[in-house]
Amino acid sequence: MSFEGKLALVTGSGRGIGRATALKLASLGCDIIVNYFRRRETAESTAKDIQALGVRAEVIKANVGDPAKIDAMFDTIANKFGYLDIFVSNAASGVGRPIMDVDVKAWDWTMDINAKAFLLCVQRAAKLMEGRAGTVVSISSLGSRFVWPTYAAVGVSKAALEALTRYLAIEMIPKGIRVNAVSASAVNTEALQFYIREGYVKDSKQTTPTGRMVTPEDVANVVAFLCSDEAFMIRGQTIIVDGGTSVAPFVPGGQEQA
Amino acid sequence: MSVEEQIRDIVSRIAHIDKSIITRESTFKEMKADSLDVVQALVAVEEAFDIEIPDEEAQKFQNFGDFVSYVESQTAKKDEA
Repeated sequence: MSFEGKLALVTGSGRGIGRATALKLASLGCDIIVNYFRRRETAESTAKDIQALGVRAEVIKANVGDPAKIDAMFDTIANKFGYLDIFVSNAASGVGRPIMDVDVKAWDWTMDINAKAFLLCVQRAAKLMEGRAGTVVSISSLGSRFVWPTYAAVGVSKAALEALTRYLAIEMIPKGIRVNAVSASAVNTEALQFYIREGYVKDSKQTTPTGRMVTPEDVANVVAFLCSDEAFMIRGQTIIVDGGTSVAPFVPGGQEQA
Repeated sequence: MSVEEQIRDIVSRIAHIDKSIITRESTFKEMKADSLDVVQALVAVEEAFDIEIPDEEAQKFQNFGDFVSYVESQTAKKDEA
């Protein structure tokens, strides 16, 4: 698998799954645009680690919840590079509340960043991918199909993201662009700490048949595969990375043999 | 317009509260600002003043006055640079 000479934009790549994905693609020769929203130092640290792998890294700040900022980000990419091969829609946010407390502001914030941004970014990315056999991967979560406490707004936004992935996958075929999603269960990231603090996630080791939590690298590996030519015939799919959790709700965790 | 007045405008717009009731002693709870209001206010202030406010710093703000003082210190630093 090689992405030499290609350029990827990974939104929200200062931390967690976005950072792991950026580094994975970079390790396979891809130049990377590191997008961040509020924490410049994390984005710059990712960029430094990417450059250490011998490829180019560019940092762009943009709140993908704001259409004007999305346009500005893609204007910068168009001016600096003029092309794009891979777009990974990873940036996500959300308001963790019981559904009766989800007000218009919380709903819009979550949907804008997690779902609307994907549509607007792909519309811009597609123009930069013309004639380049581009690939798009969105990062979803199992909360799109299973119910987790206080996860309603985010879960619904991820369901929209997955539906958009299917529609885009088909409508982008004439443009030669492949679109898929990767969906993970609880991943060991900073974002998960909120759910642990609130007591919603206790010990994922016990609930994952494989006996350990999903790591950002587990997700990144699948993203890289979906971006490769080997995944050419996979279209509009949501690939689940959860160590078997979703297919075995009644199987005790921690069964992996060393 | 002073830094304080600009931040008061932003907070009142985002949390939908009357500017006149925001004093330096007002807590976010008193201003009925929920966690999303606070995040949106931080983002708006960061954009307005072209600064970054780390979450670790924001978590220390006890009231509106702490928020203003932090932004004032950051904008002063920027002016010196």
